[in-house]
Amino acid sequence: MLSTASQRPDGSHVQSAVTPQAPAVSRGASPALSARGLTREFGVVVAVDGIDLELEAGDFLTVFGPNGAGKTTLLSLLGGRLKPNRGEVRVGGERLAFSETAWRARIGVLSHQTFLYAHLTVAENLRFFGKLFGLTDLDERIPARLEQVGLSDRSDFLARQLSHGMRQRAALARALLHDPELVLLDEPYTGLDPYAASVLRGVLSSLKDGRRTVVMVTHNLTQGLELANRLAIQVRGRFGWYGERSAVEPDTFEHFYHRVVEAGSA
Amino acid sequence: MTYLSQIYAIVWKDLLLEFRTRERIAAMGAFAVLAGILFNFSMDQTVVRPQDIAAGLIWMTLVFGGLLGIGRTFHLEAQDGAFQGVLTSPAPKDAIYIGKITANFVLLYIVALLVVGIFTLFFGLDLGDHPGMLALALALGSLGFVALGTLFSAVSSSTHMGETLLPILVFPLLVPMIIYGVSATSRLLADRPIADVAGNLRMLGAFAVLAVGAGAVMFRFVVEE
Repeated sequence: MLSTASQRPDGSHVQSAVTPQAPAVSRGASPALSARGLTREFGVVVAVDGIDLELEAGDFLTVFGPNGAGKTTLLSLLGGRLKPNRGEVRVGGERLAFSETAWRARIGVLSHQTFLYAHLTVAENLRFFGKLFGLTDLDERIPARLEQVGLSDRSDFLARQLSHGMRQRAALARALLHDPELVLLDEPYTGLDPYAASVLRGVLSSLKDGRRTVVMVTHNLTQGLELANRLAIQVRGRFGWYGERSAVEPDTFEHFYHRVVEAGSA
Repeated sequence: MTYLSQIYAIVWKDLLLEFRTRERIAAMGAFAVLAGILFNFSMDQTVVRPQDIAAGLIWMTLVFGGLLGIGRTFHLEAQDGAFQGVLTSPAPKDAIYIGKITANFVLLYIVALLVVGIFTLFFGLDLGDHPGMLALALALGSLGFVALGTLFSAVSSSTHMGETLLPILVFPLLVPMIIYGVSATSRLLADRPIADVAGNLRMLGAFAVLAVGAGAVMFRFVVEE
Protein backbone atom coordinates (compact mmCIF):
# COMPACT_ATOMS: atom_id res chain seq x y z
CA MET A 1 0.00 0.00 0.00
CA LEU A 2 1.11 3.51 -0.71
CA SER A 3 -0.74 5.12 2.13
CA THR A 4 2.51 5.72 3.95
CA ALA A 5 3.52 7.99 1.14
CA SER A 6 1.07 10.59 2.30
CA GLN A 7 2.85 10.94 5.59
CA ARG A 8 5.67 13.22 6.59
CA PRO A 9 8.93 11.53 7.45
CA ASP A 10 8.18 12.27 11.08
CA GLY A 11 4.89 10.44 10.81
CA SER A 12 2.54 13.39 10.47
CA HIS A 13 0.41 13.65 7.38
CA VAL A 14 1.43 15.94 4.57
CA GLN A 15 -1.58 17.78 3.26
CA SER A 16 -0.28 19.55 0.19
CA ALA A 17 0.88 18.05 -3.03
CA VAL A 18 1.46 14.61 -1.60
CA THR A 19 -0.87 12.12 -3.12
CA PRO A 20 0.86 9.11 -4.60
CA GLN A 21 -1.40 8.57 -7.61
CA ALA A 22 -2.23 12.19 -8.42
CA PRO A 23 0.95 14.07 -7.80
CA ALA A 24 0.45 17.02 -10.14
CA VAL A 25 0.58 20.38 -8.43
CA SER A 26 -0.79 23.22 -10.48
CA ARG A 27 0.65 26.61 -9.62
CA GLY A 28 0.30 28.51 -12.86
CA ALA A 29 -1.52 28.71 -16.18
CA SER A 30 1.45 27.60 -18.29
CA PRO A 31 3.99 25.63 -16.30
CA ALA A 32 7.61 25.51 -17.39
CA LEU A 33 7.45 21.73 -17.57
CA SER A 34 4.44 19.48 -17.39
CA ALA A 35 3.76 15.83 -18.03
CA ARG A 36 0.38 14.13 -18.20
CA GLY A 37 -0.10 10.38 -17.96
CA LEU A 38 3.44 9.78 -19.11
CA THR A 39 3.89 6.08 -19.83
CA ARG A 40 6.69 4.13 -21.45
CA GLU A 41 6.72 0.38 -21.85
CA PHE A 42 9.55 -1.91 -22.97
CA GLY A 43 7.74 -5.09 -23.92
CA VAL A 44 5.98 -6.27 -20.78
CA VAL A 45 8.01 -3.96 -18.55
CA VAL A 46 6.34 -0.66 -17.71
CA ALA A 47 9.31 1.60 -16.98
CA VAL A 48 7.26 4.76 -16.49
CA ASP A 49 3.66 4.32 -15.53
CA GLY A 50 1.28 7.22 -15.92
CA ILE A 51 3.37 9.93 -14.28
CA ASP A 52 1.90 13.43 -13.91
CA LEU A 53 4.19 16.34 -13.22
CA GLU A 54 4.07 20.11 -13.19
CA LEU A 55 7.00 22.43 -12.52
CA GLU A 56 7.47 26.17 -12.69
CA ALA A 57 10.53 28.14 -13.75
CA GLY A 58 12.92 28.13 -10.81
CA ASP A 59 11.85 24.71 -9.57
CA PHE A 60 14.53 22.13 -8.86
CA LEU A 61 13.02 18.66 -8.69
CA THR A 62 15.02 15.68 -7.50
CA VAL A 63 13.63 12.26 -8.35
CA PHE A 64 14.86 9.49 -6.07
CA GLY A 65 14.31 5.83 -6.52
CA PRO A 66 15.94 2.41 -6.38
CA ASN A 67 17.67 0.82 -9.36
CA GLY A 68 15.18 -0.06 -12.06
CA ALA A 69 12.56 2.40 -10.83
CA GLY A 70 12.46 4.06 -14.25
CA LYS A 71 14.17 7.32 -13.28
CA THR A 72 16.43 7.50 -16.34
CA THR A 73 13.55 6.53 -18.60
CA LEU A 74 11.50 9.34 -17.08
CA LEU A 75 14.31 11.79 -17.78
CA SER A 76 14.62 10.52 -21.35
CA LEU A 77 10.90 11.06 -21.84
CA LEU A 78 11.02 14.58 -20.38
CA GLY A 79 13.94 15.43 -22.66
CA GLY A 80 12.33 13.96 -25.75
CA ARG A 81 14.99 11.29 -26.20
CA LEU A 82 12.34 8.62 -25.82
CA LYS A 83 8.87 8.64 -27.24
CA PRO A 84 6.13 7.86 -24.71
CA ASN A 85 3.64 5.11 -25.41
CA ARG A 86 0.99 7.28 -23.79
CA GLY A 87 0.80 10.75 -22.33
CA GLU A 88 2.52 13.98 -23.25
CA VAL A 89 5.24 16.38 -22.17
CA ARG A 90 4.99 20.15 -22.48
CA VAL A 91 7.83 22.63 -22.09
CA GLY A 92 6.59 26.16 -21.55
CA GLY A 93 3.17 24.99 -22.69
CA GLU A 94 4.50 23.66 -25.99
CA ARG A 95 3.95 19.97 -26.58
CA LEU A 96 7.07 18.01 -27.48
CA ALA A 97 6.49 16.65 -30.97
CA PHE A 98 8.91 14.07 -32.29
CA SER A 99 8.51 15.21 -35.86
CA GLU A 100 10.15 18.53 -34.96
CA THR A 101 13.43 19.27 -33.31
CA ALA A 102 13.45 23.03 -32.62
CA TRP A 103 12.21 22.58 -29.04
CA ARG A 104 15.34 20.60 -28.19
CA ALA A 105 17.19 23.93 -28.09
CA ARG A 106 15.28 24.68 -24.87
CA ILE A 107 16.57 21.58 -23.10
CA GLY A 108 20.01 20.76 -21.70
CA VAL A 109 20.86 17.19 -20.78
CA LEU A 110 23.63 15.98 -18.47
CA SER A 111 23.90 12.23 -18.19
CA HIS A 112 26.31 9.94 -16.37
CA GLN A 113 27.70 9.57 -19.89
CA THR A 114 29.39 12.81 -20.91
CA PHE A 115 28.22 12.86 -24.57
CA LEU A 116 31.71 14.15 -25.40
CA TYR A 117 33.97 12.99 -28.21
CA ALA A 118 37.13 11.65 -26.62
CA HIS A 119 39.34 12.68 -29.54
CA LEU A 120 38.15 16.27 -29.70
CA THR A 121 39.38 18.96 -27.34
CA VAL A 122 37.01 20.43 -24.79
CA ALA A 123 36.66 23.61 -26.87
CA GLU A 124 36.13 21.62 -30.07
CA ASN A 125 33.42 19.57 -28.40
CA LEU A 126 31.64 22.72 -27.26
CA ARG A 127 32.03 24.35 -30.67
CA PHE A 128 30.60 21.27 -32.38
CA PHE A 129 27.57 21.06 -30.11
CA GLY A 130 27.14 24.82 -30.26
CA LYS A 131 26.89 24.62 -34.05
CA LEU A 132 24.30 21.87 -33.78
CA PHE A 133 22.28 24.15 -31.49
CA GLY A 134 22.56 26.95 -34.05
CA LEU A 135 24.62 29.23 -31.79
CA THR A 136 26.60 31.97 -33.49
CA ASP A 137 28.37 33.69 -30.57
CA LEU A 138 30.54 30.72 -29.67
CA ASP A 139 33.74 32.73 -29.37
CA GLU A 140 32.25 34.49 -26.34
CA ARG A 141 30.03 31.71 -25.08
CA ILE A 142 32.58 28.89 -24.87
CA PRO A 143 35.13 30.71 -22.65
CA ALA A 144 32.30 31.90 -20.40
CA ARG A 145 30.93 28.40 -19.92
CA LEU A 146 34.38 26.93 -19.34
CA GLU A 147 35.06 29.55 -16.72
CA GLN A 148 31.73 28.74 -15.08
CA VAL A 149 32.76 25.09 -14.66
CA GLY A 150 36.39 25.89 -13.83
CA LEU A 151 37.92 24.47 -16.99
CA SER A 152 39.30 27.58 -18.66
CA ASP A 153 42.81 26.16 -18.54
CA ARG A 154 41.72 22.85 -20.06
CA SER A 155 39.98 24.07 -23.19
CA ASP A 156 42.69 22.68 -25.49
CA PHE A 157 42.89 19.30 -23.78
CA LEU A 158 41.40 16.30 -25.53
CA ALA A 159 38.36 15.06 -23.63
CA ARG A 160 40.07 11.71 -23.10
CA GLN A 161 42.98 13.44 -21.35
CA LEU A 162 40.73 14.78 -18.61
CA SER A 163 39.89 13.11 -15.32
CA HIS A 164 36.37 11.81 -14.87
CA GLY A 165 35.45 14.82 -12.75
CA MET A 166 36.75 17.26 -15.34
CA ARG A 167 34.96 15.42 -18.13
CA GLN A 168 31.74 15.67 -16.17
CA ARG A 169 32.27 19.41 -15.73
CA ALA A 170 33.00 19.74 -19.45
CA ALA A 171 29.78 17.83 -20.08
CA LEU A 172 27.96 20.30 -17.87
CA ALA A 173 29.42 23.16 -19.90
CA ARG A 174 28.12 21.40 -23.01
CA ALA A 175 24.67 20.94 -21.48
CA LEU A 176 24.44 24.61 -20.47
CA LEU A 177 26.11 26.09 -23.55
CA HIS A 178 22.82 27.10 -25.18
CA ASP A 179 21.40 28.49 -21.94
CA PRO A 180 18.52 26.01 -21.74
CA GLU A 181 15.37 26.76 -19.79
CA LEU A 182 14.99 23.10 -18.80
CA VAL A 183 18.00 21.18 -17.46
CA LEU A 184 17.83 17.41 -17.04
CA LEU A 185 20.49 15.77 -14.87
CA ASP A 186 20.92 12.00 -14.76
CA GLU A 187 23.07 10.92 -11.81
CA PRO A 188 25.50 13.81 -12.35
CA TYR A 189 27.58 12.97 -9.27
CA THR A 190 28.36 9.40 -10.32
CA GLY A 191 32.05 8.58 -9.90
CA LEU A 192 33.08 12.06 -8.74
CA ASP A 193 35.53 12.59 -5.89
CA PRO A 194 34.47 14.96 -3.08
CA TYR A 195 36.22 17.96 -4.62
CA ALA A 196 34.76 17.39 -8.09
CA ALA A 197 31.34 16.84 -6.51
CA SER A 198 31.71 20.11 -4.65
CA VAL A 199 32.55 22.01 -7.83
CA LEU A 200 29.63 20.41 -9.63
CA ARG A 201 27.33 21.27 -6.72
CA GLY A 202 28.40 24.90 -6.99
CA VAL A 203 27.60 25.01 -10.69
CA LEU A 204 24.27 23.26 -10.21
CA SER A 205 23.47 25.72 -7.43
CA SER A 206 23.98 28.56 -9.87
CA LEU A 207 21.21 27.09 -12.01
CA LYS A 208 18.71 28.09 -9.34
CA ASP A 209 18.38 31.53 -10.84
CA GLY A 210 14.60 31.55 -11.12
CA ARG A 211 14.71 31.26 -14.92
CA ARG A 212 15.42 27.58 -15.26
CA THR A 213 13.66 24.40 -14.33
CA VAL A 214 15.91 21.55 -13.24
CA VAL A 215 15.06 17.88 -12.91
CA MET A 216 17.71 15.62 -11.41
CA VAL A 217 17.47 11.88 -10.88
CA THR A 218 19.69 10.18 -8.36
CA HIS A 219 19.72 7.45 -5.77
CA ASN A 220 22.02 9.48 -3.53
CA LEU A 221 19.71 10.92 -0.88
CA THR A 222 22.12 13.46 0.58
CA GLN A 223 23.12 15.02 -2.73
CA GLY A 224 19.56 14.89 -3.97
CA LEU A 225 18.21 16.87 -1.04
CA GLU A 226 20.81 19.62 -1.18
CA LEU A 227 19.52 21.78 -4.01
CA ALA A 228 15.96 20.64 -4.59
CA ASN A 229 12.83 22.53 -3.67
CA ARG A 230 10.65 19.64 -4.84
CA LEU A 231 11.13 15.91 -4.41
CA ALA A 232 9.73 12.72 -5.82
CA ILE A 233 10.33 9.08 -4.98
CA GLN A 234 9.82 6.85 -7.99
CA VAL A 235 9.08 3.17 -7.48
CA ARG A 236 8.22 0.73 -10.25
CA GLY A 237 7.60 3.49 -12.73
CA ARG A 238 5.28 5.52 -10.52
CA PHE A 239 5.73 8.36 -8.11
CA GLY A 240 5.32 6.74 -4.71
CA TRP A 241 5.65 10.18 -3.18
CA TYR A 242 5.86 13.68 -4.60
CA GLY A 243 5.97 16.94 -2.71
CA GLU A 244 7.80 19.96 -1.40
CA ARG A 245 11.33 19.71 -0.12
CA SER A 246 10.19 21.61 2.95
CA ALA A 247 7.88 18.73 3.80
CA VAL A 248 10.76 16.42 4.70
CA GLU A 249 13.48 16.46 7.32
CA PRO A 250 16.94 15.43 6.12
CA ASP A 251 17.58 13.45 9.30
CA THR A 252 14.59 11.18 8.86
CA PHE A 253 14.30 11.23 5.07
CA GLU A 254 16.21 7.99 4.58
CA HIS A 255 13.79 6.14 6.83
CA PHE A 256 10.86 7.72 5.00
CA TYR A 257 12.41 6.87 1.63
CA HIS A 258 12.73 3.21 2.59
CA ARG A 259 9.12 3.07 3.70
CA VAL A 260 7.93 4.56 0.41
CA VAL A 261 10.07 2.17 -1.61
CA GLU A 262 8.87 -0.82 0.38
CA ALA A 263 5.27 0.27 0.04
CA GLY A 264 5.65 0.82 -3.69
CA SER A 265 7.39 -2.51 -4.20
CA ALA A 266 4.79 -4.52 -2.30
CA MET B 1 21.61 28.62 -42.95
CA THR B 2 21.47 26.80 -39.63
CA TYR B 3 20.68 23.59 -41.49
CA LEU B 4 23.82 23.89 -43.62
CA SER B 5 25.81 24.90 -40.57
CA GLN B 6 24.65 21.76 -38.78
CA ILE B 7 25.63 19.59 -41.75
CA TYR B 8 29.00 21.31 -41.88
CA ALA B 9 29.51 20.75 -38.15
CA ILE B 10 28.91 17.00 -38.56
CA VAL B 11 31.27 16.79 -41.55
CA TRP B 12 33.96 18.81 -39.76
CA LYS B 13 33.69 16.69 -36.63
CA ASP B 14 33.75 13.35 -38.48
CA LEU B 15 36.72 14.28 -40.65
CA LEU B 16 38.62 15.76 -37.71
CA LEU B 17 38.02 12.59 -35.68
CA GLU B 18 39.21 10.50 -38.61
CA PHE B 19 42.27 12.70 -39.03
CA ARG B 20 43.09 12.22 -35.34
CA THR B 21 42.38 8.49 -35.07
CA ARG B 22 42.93 7.31 -38.69
CA GLU B 23 40.83 4.38 -37.61
CA ARG B 24 38.80 3.85 -40.75
CA ILE B 25 40.93 5.28 -43.54
CA ALA B 26 43.84 3.11 -42.40
CA ALA B 27 41.72 -0.05 -42.47
CA MET B 28 40.24 0.74 -45.88
CA GLY B 29 43.57 1.83 -47.33
CA ALA B 30 45.42 -1.22 -46.05
CA PHE B 31 42.72 -3.50 -47.44
CA ALA B 32 42.94 -1.80 -50.84
CA VAL B 33 46.72 -2.20 -51.00
CA LEU B 34 46.67 -5.83 -49.87
CA ALA B 35 43.83 -6.71 -52.22
CA GLY B 36 45.75 -5.15 -55.10
CA ILE B 37 48.83 -7.18 -54.25
CA LEU B 38 46.87 -10.43 -53.92
CA PHE B 39 44.95 -9.86 -57.15
CA ASN B 40 48.29 -9.22 -58.83
CA PHE B 41 49.43 -12.70 -57.84
CA SER B 42 46.09 -14.37 -58.47
CA MET B 43 46.15 -14.12 -62.24
CA ASP B 44 48.51 -14.95 -65.04
CA GLN B 45 48.82 -11.71 -66.95
CA THR B 46 50.23 -13.55 -69.95
CA VAL B 47 46.85 -15.24 -70.32
CA VAL B 48 44.40 -12.66 -68.94
CA ARG B 49 44.50 -9.01 -69.96
CA PRO B 50 44.19 -6.81 -66.84
CA GLN B 51 42.26 -4.29 -68.90
CA ASP B 52 39.49 -6.86 -69.35
CA ILE B 53 38.94 -7.74 -65.71
CA ALA B 54 40.18 -4.68 -63.83
CA ALA B 55 36.76 -3.04 -63.62
CA GLY B 56 35.26 -5.89 -61.60
CA LEU B 57 38.28 -6.13 -59.33
CA ILE B 58 38.30 -2.37 -58.70
CA TRP B 59 34.64 -2.30 -57.66
CA MET B 60 34.89 -5.45 -55.54
CA THR B 61 37.91 -4.06 -53.75
CA LEU B 62 36.06 -0.79 -53.20
CA VAL B 63 32.95 -2.52 -51.85
CA PHE B 64 34.72 -4.92 -49.49
CA GLY B 65 37.31 -2.40 -48.36
CA GLY B 66 34.79 0.38 -48.05
CA LEU B 67 32.57 -1.69 -45.83
CA LEU B 68 35.43 -2.04 -43.35
CA GLY B 69 35.35 1.70 -42.82
CA ILE B 70 31.72 2.58 -43.40
CA GLY B 71 30.71 -0.20 -41.03
CA ARG B 72 32.52 1.58 -38.22
CA THR B 73 30.79 4.91 -38.81
CA PHE B 74 29.11 4.78 -35.41
CA HIS B 75 31.96 3.15 -33.49
CA LEU B 76 33.42 6.38 -32.11
CA GLU B 77 29.93 7.80 -31.75
CA ALA B 78 29.09 5.12 -29.22
CA GLN B 79 31.93 6.02 -26.86
CA ASP B 80 30.64 7.85 -23.81
CA GLY B 81 27.25 8.30 -25.45
CA ALA B 82 28.52 10.99 -27.82
CA PHE B 83 25.88 10.28 -30.45
CA GLN B 84 23.17 10.56 -27.80
CA GLY B 85 24.41 14.10 -27.32
CA VAL B 86 23.96 14.74 -31.04
CA LEU B 87 20.44 13.33 -30.90
CA THR B 88 19.51 15.65 -28.02
CA SER B 89 20.40 18.65 -30.19
CA PRO B 90 17.87 20.43 -32.42
CA ALA B 91 19.75 19.29 -35.53
CA PRO B 92 17.27 17.54 -37.85
CA LYS B 93 17.99 13.84 -38.31
CA ASP B 94 18.31 14.25 -42.07
CA ALA B 95 20.95 16.95 -41.52
CA ILE B 96 22.88 14.56 -39.27
CA TYR B 97 22.58 11.84 -41.90
CA ILE B 98 23.67 14.08 -44.78
CA GLY B 99 26.62 15.28 -42.71
CA LYS B 100 27.69 11.74 -41.97
CA ILE B 101 27.39 10.48 -45.55
CA THR B 102 29.30 13.52 -46.78
CA ALA B 103 32.20 12.73 -44.46
CA ASN B 104 32.01 9.04 -45.38
CA PHE B 105 31.94 9.96 -49.06
CA VAL B 106 35.16 11.96 -48.72
CA LEU B 107 36.87 8.99 -47.03
CA LEU B 108 35.55 6.40 -49.48
CA TYR B 109 36.38 8.50 -52.51
CA ILE B 110 39.96 8.81 -51.32
CA VAL B 111 40.04 5.02 -51.06
CA ALA B 112 38.45 4.68 -54.51
CA LEU B 113 41.17 6.81 -56.06
CA LEU B 114 43.75 4.80 -54.12
CA VAL B 115 42.32 1.55 -55.48
CA VAL B 116 42.52 2.82 -59.05
CA GLY B 117 46.08 4.00 -58.38
CA ILE B 118 47.08 0.60 -57.03
CA PHE B 119 45.60 -1.24 -60.00
CA THR B 120 47.31 1.17 -62.36
CA LEU B 121 50.58 0.49 -60.58
CA PHE B 122 50.36 -3.30 -60.24
CA PHE B 123 48.56 -4.11 -63.48
CA GLY B 124 49.91 -1.37 -65.67
CA LEU B 125 46.30 -0.34 -66.22
CA ASP B 126 45.61 2.22 -68.93
CA LEU B 127 42.88 4.56 -67.68
CA GLY B 128 41.72 5.29 -71.19
CA ASP B 129 40.87 8.57 -72.85
CA HIS B 130 38.36 9.71 -70.26
CA PRO B 131 39.85 9.46 -66.77
CA GLY B 132 37.52 12.26 -65.68
CA MET B 133 34.50 10.14 -66.54
CA LEU B 134 36.03 7.24 -64.64
CA ALA B 135 36.40 9.54 -61.63
CA LEU B 136 32.75 10.55 -62.03
CA ALA B 137 31.60 6.92 -62.16
CA LEU B 138 33.54 6.15 -58.99
CA ALA B 139 32.12 9.26 -57.30
CA LEU B 140 28.51 8.36 -58.12
CA GLY B 141 29.03 4.75 -57.05
CA SER B 142 30.75 5.83 -53.85
CA LEU B 143 27.90 8.19 -53.01
CA GLY B 144 25.28 5.47 -53.43
CA PHE B 145 27.41 3.09 -51.41
CA VAL B 146 27.94 5.43 -48.45
CA ALA B 147 24.26 6.43 -48.49
CA LEU B 148 23.19 2.83 -47.91
CA GLY B 149 26.26 1.82 -45.90
CA THR B 150 25.84 4.65 -43.40
CA LEU B 151 22.14 3.94 -42.94
CA PHE B 152 22.68 0.24 -42.34
CA SER B 153 25.73 0.90 -40.21
CA ALA B 154 23.37 2.75 -37.87
CA VAL B 155 21.06 -0.25 -37.93
CA SER B 156 23.77 -2.81 -37.31
CA SER B 157 25.50 -0.76 -34.59
CA SER B 158 22.43 -1.14 -32.42
CA THR B 159 22.27 -4.92 -32.78
CA HIS B 160 24.22 -7.73 -31.15
CA MET B 161 25.44 -9.03 -34.52
CA GLY B 162 26.91 -5.63 -35.37
CA GLU B 163 29.37 -5.68 -38.21
CA THR B 164 28.50 -9.26 -39.10
CA LEU B 165 25.03 -8.14 -40.00
CA LEU B 166 26.09 -5.18 -42.14
CA PRO B 167 27.24 -7.00 -45.30
CA ILE B 168 24.17 -9.21 -45.19
CA LEU B 169 21.98 -6.13 -45.18
CA VAL B 170 23.94 -3.99 -47.63
CA PHE B 171 25.37 -6.28 -50.31
CA PRO B 172 22.05 -7.27 -51.91
CA LEU B 173 21.12 -3.59 -52.21
CA LEU B 174 24.42 -2.75 -53.86
CA VAL B 175 23.83 -5.04 -56.84
CA PRO B 176 22.54 -2.26 -59.16
CA MET B 177 25.49 -0.04 -58.23
CA ILE B 178 27.96 -2.84 -58.96
CA ILE B 179 26.31 -3.74 -62.28
CA TYR B 180 26.32 -0.18 -63.63
CA GLY B 181 29.62 0.74 -61.99
CA VAL B 182 31.45 -2.23 -63.46
CA SER B 183 29.82 -1.73 -66.84
CA ALA B 184 30.73 1.97 -66.98
CA THR B 185 34.28 1.31 -65.81
CA SER B 186 34.80 -1.55 -68.28
CA ARG B 187 33.66 0.58 -71.19
CA LEU B 188 35.78 3.52 -70.11
CA LEU B 189 38.86 1.33 -69.76
CA ALA B 190 38.10 -0.11 -73.22
CA ASP B 191 38.00 3.44 -74.66
CA ARG B 192 34.41 3.12 -75.79
CA PRO B 193 32.65 6.36 -76.81
CA ILE B 194 31.11 8.47 -74.04
CA ALA B 195 27.68 7.82 -75.52
CA ASP B 196 28.12 4.12 -74.60
CA VAL B 197 28.82 5.05 -70.98
CA ALA B 198 26.26 7.80 -70.47
CA GLY B 199 23.41 5.40 -69.71
CA ASN B 200 25.40 3.62 -67.02
CA LEU B 201 26.41 6.93 -65.46
CA ARG B 202 22.78 8.05 -65.42
CA MET B 203 21.78 4.82 -63.68
CA LEU B 204 24.59 5.26 -61.15
CA GLY B 205 23.39 8.81 -60.53
CA ALA B 206 19.80 7.68 -60.14
CA PHE B 207 20.89 4.98 -57.73
CA ALA B 208 22.84 7.52 -55.67
CA VAL B 209 19.93 9.97 -55.57
CA LEU B 210 17.49 7.24 -54.55
CA ALA B 211 19.85 5.90 -51.90
CA VAL B 212 20.48 9.34 -50.39
CA GLY B 213 16.78 10.21 -50.46
CA ALA B 214 15.70 6.95 -48.89
CA GLY B 215 18.46 7.16 -46.30
CA ALA B 216 17.55 10.74 -45.33
CA VAL B 217 13.94 9.72 -44.78
CA MET B 218 14.65 6.46 -42.96
CA PHE B 219 17.56 7.56 -40.78
CA ARG B 220 15.35 9.10 -38.13
CA PHE B 221 13.45 5.84 -37.67
CA VAL B 222 16.75 4.02 -37.22
CA VAL B 223 18.27 6.31 -34.59
CA GLU B 224 15.14 7.21 -32.63
CA GLU B 225 14.31 4.78 -29.85
